[in-house]
Amino acid sequence: MLKNFFRSCLQVMALFWTAICICSTLAADEKESELAKIFAEQLRPFLSVHCYACHNADDMESGINLELLDQGFSDRQLFLWRDLLKQVATKQMPPEEDEQPEDESREAFLDTARKAIDLARARETEKNGIVRRLTVPQYRHCLQEIFGTEEDFTEALPPDGVSKDGFTNNAAILSLSPLQMENYLRIAERVIDATMVDEGAPPTIQNFRMTLGKNCNPEPYPNKLILGANSHLLANSDVLVEELVADKPFHFLPFEMQKSFRFIEGYQGNSTVRGWRDFSSIYHAVFGCMRGSGGYPLGKAYETISAGLLLRPAIPSTEIFQESSTYGPRANFKIALRELPEQGVFQVRVRAAKYNDALLLAERQKIEASELESNPIEAKFDNLSAAVDLPSSGIYLVSLRTLRRVPAKKVKSESFKLTINKRTFSRNITPGVTSSSDTYSPFCVIRLTAGQTAIAALNAKAEVEGIRFSRLKKDSSLEARFHAFESRNPQLSVLMGLRRDCGHTQKRVGACQSVSSTEIQEYVFQGAIDDYPRPFVETTNVNYLAGVREISVRNEYTSTSDSPRLLIESVEFEGPYYETWPPRNHRRLMPVRRPGEGEEEYAKRVLQEFLKRAYRRPATTEELRFAMENWQVGFARSKDLQQALRDTFLVILTSPQFLLVTEQSSTPEAEPLDEYELASKLSMFLWNGPPDEKLIVLAGKKSLRKTLHREIDRLMEDGNFGRFVEQFAYEWMSLDKLEVVEIDRKKYPHLSKELKKQLLREPVEFLRYLFAENLSIDNLVQSDFVLTNETLADYYELEKPITSGFAFVSTPVSSELGGVLTQAGLLAGLSDGRESNPVKRGAWFARRMIAEPPDDPPPNVPDLEESSGENLSLRERLERHRNQEGCVKCHEGIDPWGVAFEAYDASGLLKLAAVDASTTLPDGTKLGDLQELKQFLLRERRGQVVFSFVKHLSIYALGRDLSYNETLWLEEQSRKLAKGDCKMRELVHFVVCSDMFLTK
Amino acid sequence: MHLNRRSVLRGLGGIMLPLPFLDAMRCRADEANEAPRRFCALYTANGMSLPKEKNKLSDWNWFPHETGRDFKFGNSTKPFEPFRDQLTFLGGLHHPSGVKADPHVCSDMWLTGAPLHDSSRRSYNSVSIDQVVALHTKQFCRQPSLVLSIDAGVGFLSRTGTISFNAEGKPIPAENNPRRVFDRLFRSDKSSLEIQRADLQRRIRIVDAVLENAQSLSRQLGKSDRDKLDQYLTSLSEIESRLEASEKWIDVPIKSQDYRHLDLSVTNESAPVDYYRTMFDLVALAFDADITRSVAFMLNREDGMGISDTFPLKLGLCRTHHQLSHAGDPAGQLDFAKYDLFLAEQIGRFLKQLKAFQDVNGSVLDNSIVLYGSGASTTHKPQNLPTMVMGGANMGLKHGSYFRRENGHLSDLYLSILHALDVPANSFGDSTGKIINPVFTRELVT
Repeated sequence: MLKNFFRSCLQVMALFWTAICICSTLAADEKESELAKIFAEQLRPFLSVHCYACHNADDMESGINLELLDQGFSDRQLFLWRDLLKQVATKQMPPEEDEQPEDESREAFLDTARKAIDLARARETEKNGIVRRLTVPQYRHCLQEIFGTEEDFTEALPPDGVSKDGFTNNAAILSLSPLQMENYLRIAERVIDATMVDEGAPPTIQNFRMTLGKNCNPEPYPNKLILGANSHLLANSDVLVEELVADKPFHFLPFEMQKSFRFIEGYQGNSTVRGWRDFSSIYHAVFGCMRGSGGYPLGKAYETISAGLLLRPAIPSTEIFQESSTYGPRANFKIALRELPEQGVFQVRVRAAKYNDALLLAERQKIEASELESNPIEAKFDNLSAAVDLPSSGIYLVSLRTLRRVPAKKVKSESFKLTINKRTFSRNITPGVTSSSDTYSPFCVIRLTAGQTAIAALNAKAEVEGIRFSRLKKDSSLEARFHAFESRNPQLSVLMGLRRDCGHTQKRVGACQSVSSTEIQEYVFQGAIDDYPRPFVETTNVNYLAGVREISVRNEYTSTSDSPRLLIESVEFEGPYYETWPPRNHRRLMPVRRPGEGEEEYAKRVLQEFLKRAYRRPATTEELRFAMENWQVGFARSKDLQQALRDTFLVILTSPQFLLVTEQSSTPEAEPLDEYELASKLSMFLWNGPPDEKLIVLAGKKSLRKTLHREIDRLMEDGNFGRFVEQFAYEWMSLDKLEVVEIDRKKYPHLSKELKKQLLREPVEFLRYLFAENLSIDNLVQSDFVLTNETLADYYELEKPITSGFAFVSTPVSSELGGVLTQAGLLAGLSDGRESNPVKRGAWFARRMIAEPPDDPPPNVPDLEESSGENLSLRERLERHRNQEGCVKCHEGIDPWGVAFEAYDASGLLKLAAVDASTTLPDGTKLGDLQELKQFLLRERRGQVVFSFVKHLSIYALGRDLSYNETLWLEEQSRKLAKGDCKMRELVHFVVCSDMFLTK
Repeated sequence: MHLNRRSVLRGLGGIMLPLPFLDAMRCRADEANEAPRRFCALYTANGMSLPKEKNKLSDWNWFPHETGRDFKFGNSTKPFEPFRDQLTFLGGLHHPSGVKADPHVCSDMWLTGAPLHDSSRRSYNSVSIDQVVALHTKQFCRQPSLVLSIDAGVGFLSRTGTISFNAEGKPIPAENNPRRVFDRLFRSDKSSLEIQRADLQRRIRIVDAVLENAQSLSRQLGKSDRDKLDQYLTSLSEIESRLEASEKWIDVPIKSQDYRHLDLSVTNESAPVDYYRTMFDLVALAFDADITRSVAFMLNREDGMGISDTFPLKLGLCRTHHQLSHAGDPAGQLDFAKYDLFLAEQIGRFLKQLKAFQDVNGSVLDNSIVLYGSGASTTHKPQNLPTMVMGGANMGLKHGSYFRRENGHLSDLYLSILHALDVPANSFGDSTGKIINPVFTRELVT
């Protein structure tokens, strides 16, 4: 009944709209016939005589096909007309060698064409609401917000396509396929299963702790443990594993790990051993190991002391060995284990501290007497121990005097351990080595307090004779180095994954945490099991190593500067981690039933709320009725309230109202977005995800548009704004190029995979900062600061020490750095990994910085030829290429920009040799280098920079290409905007408040 | 004609059915009248015996000494001689990523060609060709694919015990127990059928409900861009038809066959000859009854992993499989070749069976492409991969020669196979599009 009623209403409406359409097309028809006449009688004859010979569909000289132009004057054609008129007006076309039109006919052609364009633009162009599929990140964020989870369920989805402007949210590109639909169904099932629980059944929780420290285990496992190649297991007496019962305010079952095993395949070093063997101990289920290869610059990679395990930064193996391996050198502490929960959230709690450490020095390091105060305190070792009474507290240089062994041949360095007041420091020493001017050789710099100081040398082999403490002079360079050392903090991170024969597959749990306290504190890391690699091994597998998981605890390597070690006392695991039972996320979906509330009433309440979250607006009556009907059918069949709700959730999560962002248009004319559509468009733009409760409430009250400016600011203040910055920066700046470029590591040994990750973050952090501080757009071109962390400060060789670990901080620079154009990640991405590439850089600059996109290259472009016998530089080869017919036109608009970047090599840093980066722009301006280009941009082309940024921002915000009219309008507006400050946030307000954004 | 009544009504009810959808339906209709097209991949680890010259064992080289149509079988490939006109030796092929990766993972990439050395990839591996075939053929048979290995499961990463990887690049657990394989494929268990049916019906109901809901939205769309919603509806209809296809098999009886020769009590711990015979019997029966059209079988494991390493010893040869593959001495190289001979005998018997079973238009062998090979030529050398393609005469394969393409991409062979099987694909792995001509003569019908 109701359905029929709706249908007839729709039919009536349809008739009504058809009538309106016919009326508005009448006027348009007149314009069309006028345009057809102009084209046929005045424009085409000129094109035929002067243009078609070269620019036809077959030859497409310079990639231009003017036969595309017809009486339609479509949007796409208008862009082409515009370029064509520019060429004709400036007499660049027809080319000099060809017959030229009379000035009069040239002018007549230009006049008529301009009139035609105006006429075409004045046509009522249809504006239809667009329908966009959620991008993968948007879909992920929507699911996460509906279910209150941080888990990522979207791994199986194929990545979104990229538009010509580099964006993945373009409506025309976002397609739907059966593969995607199957995945949506599967993902919806998974996320529902992961969230909804059986309220009546108590959960099972796994909880154990590994304590570390010299002799911390009073009853160590008596036999030798073996865990395959390159696993350096900690001494059995230094590891204690205990299963715990978590302290929870609800009833649960503690999970008991399996401790008895029967394996047929085991290992002895690299060889396989076959034969059934039984094992029985928790130490065959949980192992403490330091898996990795040898090699460390100074001091031991790790050391167990009574307080715990000391870790130096886990240097990636590329930094030491210049080749990548999946191991990394040895400071990688791992808990290898056999069992983890199937799914759910888990916590890894690490009790750790920053060790009160000494800065180790190289044996032969030369230390000027002027660095030290006079009257050092010396002591002789007696039976490997010594004692001194220090008169004052302060920073001391500790040096050692060792005896050369007789015979003195083949004196090798030996491992050596020194304790000072029970603080432990190890480094190799070479017996008999002294510094050139002294009988002592430096060992370390350390902060000590006044008074009795006990010293022990724990090495029987090295003949250590004496020790000396010399106070550092105030403001000595060694003191400054120690201060920088002391102020650095270990960077604690936890990773989880699985063991491989040739290393591991791991992913970081949460963010890395800075450990600044020298007191032991608890650091909590949280993740969802499903987000981490799992072994895919059946439980009946009888190989000792099959399916071994790993929880890594690391001191992350941030820079080449020394930093105090990380002390780990214990590591605890708890999972699935619940604060309450039933879990909060389950309650979000399934609230407690009210007294006397019937099943149907309850289902309606649940579905209404769920629909609102999923559809990003309250459901219509029709939609709610549909959902209820669906639930009723399911409930009648299964008699299970929760099961029936689950199935209806599934339907909702695979429905178009959820998967598509729809703007409903009823007329071909521009209509204002309705308030809910506006809320979604706004949040998809600025949060790359769904609107929050507040936006939906405002839209419901029809007051979102009224408070638009306030809401834009609120969205930009919110943490979710970071998602926009990340996505936009990545796509606008083409950072994918850096991800895929294969850097020649022989040429650029420092540009490792890890460094690449930091370089990828720099532009994002920079843009985030510009928005956060609401700075002027000029900073994109040139800023007097950079955003950097320890790693990048090292890479750029910044003078001011940075001690923020991986965190990005703003620091002033006076050099050529500052702005995006000198960011190494961008420059390296726009290279081939070996040489700088002015064409890639120029094309990027023209497209993204000044919005003068070059035309697509014509078909059959000849390659850059490797000229035989001639040793030409890339620059010379480019010149040769450019001079070929057909190439010159485009490259004139690309290469001059790219050449200005020539001082920077493929790793994004200044080349060592002096380089000629001078360039002549298409308009004849001569610039000496990139610095001059930056100044030129700010002085002469500011409007164009503003236009380019606003244009890209608009395309991203709208999720579609701009029309010809919109482009012209933006150009005009940008000129006006460029007269002001152009603060970053103002530009966002400008885009949102435009008709482009607010109408459909 | 399989056009589903509901789908048609839906199509007429206001939503245009885009062309690819109609194509898919027509394709299925044709297929119903045609014989099945099947694919079977057989993998042997650690390469084949290619004895050194100084050992004077040239008669035992796995590759023939002459290319082209005049090649002669060596001693280790003699059992293939009766099928000379139904097979082709292929030499010189490799996966370009193979040389960059750990050589022990060459079995992981044999059917995928994925750059396994690249640890930055989201997924370790990518889809294997048998699964690409399965994706296309699953609509016609009850099991999308059959994944077999000498050891069950997947082993563990970097020593995987299966050669089959799904669309996400995750390893597909293999089966190795003849009885379990037989029970699952040929014996219908009523209770599990009911669960299957209930699950399928639940999914169909959900998809139906989503479709109904989507159509009501579609009617409200007015002047908005309809393109996305049409794509959505097409995708959903496709899924619905796939589900319905699975459901219909539940009630179709399995072709009656003679199982008397099967000895289901054998396991991988039995005599190797008994084990392989039974497993190959099962594959042949599954093809004959059209239970599946895609099979991947890992005959033995890479490196010294798993039970298959001991098979040569059980056969009276002097060392384990992995040790033999490393042998440089005459005795070792001869015994390695004798193991090749043993495998050739097993596969030869399998071919004989396929030839004996009849389809509507010829033997099952003529309608099946059997790929046999290794991920290494000799030990851990991932180039010039020993490869043989058998059967498929009805799919345009022209056999009877030794084809070489130096440094050719193995993925181009896979692409050729996909085209022969009528699987629409423009590329596979790192294929370059250079079809293995003149062995494969059939053009892809698009």
